[in-house]
Amino acid sequence: MKSYHDIVGDGGSRVLEQVAEQRARITDGLAGVRHLVAIGSGKGGVGKSTLTLHLAGALRARGLRIAILDADFNGPSQARMAGVQEALFVPGRQKVSLPRTTNGIGVFSMGSVIPESAALEFESAAGGESQTWRATREFALLGEILAAFEWGTLDLLMIDLPPGAERTVQYAEFLPRTSFVLVTIPSEVARGVVARSVTTLPKNRIVGYVENMSGYYCRGCDEIRPLFDSPNAPSFGIPCLGTVPFDPELARRCDSGLPLTDLADTPVTRALDDVARQLVEGLE
Amino acid sequence: MKFLCVPCDSPMKLQTVGPPERGSLSVVYSCPECGYEIAMLTNAYETQVVQSLGVRIGPEGGEKASTAGCPFSGMIPAKGAETPGLTAPEPVRWTAAAEARLANVPEFVRPMARTGIEKFAREKGFFEIDERVLDAARDFFGM
Repeated sequence: MKSYHDIVGDGGSRVLEQVAEQRARITDGLAGVRHLVAIGSGKGGVGKSTLTLHLAGALRARGLRIAILDADFNGPSQARMAGVQEALFVPGRQKVSLPRTTNGIGVFSMGSVIPESAALEFESAAGGESQTWRATREFALLGEILAAFEWGTLDLLMIDLPPGAERTVQYAEFLPRTSFVLVTIPSEVARGVVARSVTTLPKNRIVGYVENMSGYYCRGCDEIRPLFDSPNAPSFGIPCLGTVPFDPELARRCDSGLPLTDLADTPVTRALDDVARQLVEGLE
Repeated sequence: MKFLCVPCDSPMKLQTVGPPERGSLSVVYSCPECGYEIAMLTNAYETQVVQSLGVRIGPEGGEKASTAGCPFSGMIPAKGAETPGLTAPEPVRWTAAAEARLANVPEFVRPMARTGIEKFAREKGFFEIDERVLDAARDFFGM
């Protein structure tokens, strides 16, 4: 009797072929993207999304062509922060145009189509038992977005990841070209979670880590002051791309979706520019 | 998943896929040698797994029978949807070429894209959406 592998094809359902076609469409859609960089952590609340946007701005200021994909479908924040909450998805002749910030950063975020008062919901045949299929569906959705939108020619596509060490690994598997930047804060709890993410990712795909909220910038005295009492430096065994202090003015602008292009030169903007430089060097 | 007709030792071919009924698909396979038919009846979890992959199931060459239509349709509450009690906005006509371009938008966000473009068109005084209006929307939003 024939076994599974003796039979060519699957009798007409073409499930495997369709999955392969989806992958080919994604590869095709990203053909013009030089670097895919996922900003992750494992830990929530460390400032992945704000750092993604700020780094994108710093890289854009260096003349690079940048887009952001907000992969946190369940808690999208890039639309608000980047000021594209009201943007339309307008179809071109082949692909869908990407909403852009005033300084030309392309941004896809579910926040452009889902009001903050609503949640992402999927229709289900399985009677609400979403723990059995939800992750698969979210990755299919990610694939659809990558294939349908017009990413064009980019130096970097920055992917703002959702929290969760296991999700970080799933993105590494789903997008084999992606490099990773991990974000931590000077807290032992956050560092512990990030250390787990480091162990789960292939080392050669981690560009390094950024320590966010490394003190805060006081505009009154033009100084960086401590936020966390954490004297030990992290020892992840990966390069440190820099430390970025918290800046209440940047946070205010993000909340309001105000442009970050006209920021004064401060220790924070210099720190971000330094991380951007290190990131580019790490990728090259 | 493949099906084998054991007496003929021959791979069976997919014939028809029935529309989902209470979460179950009826997928009929037949043996090209002896014509024997079987039906695979999926449970809701099996249907959902296939849906979640974003694939459709149907016989090769024929009209594809979806597992349940677009796996994404209807999952996002439409932003800017009509509010009950308010007068419906004046209808906007889409040309065939503009509709064809709209089909490039993934199904899960197409209703919102349509609503948003129609709103943009009305605000700009257009009551027919053609490719020129779509290009105008792209320009307006700096795309």
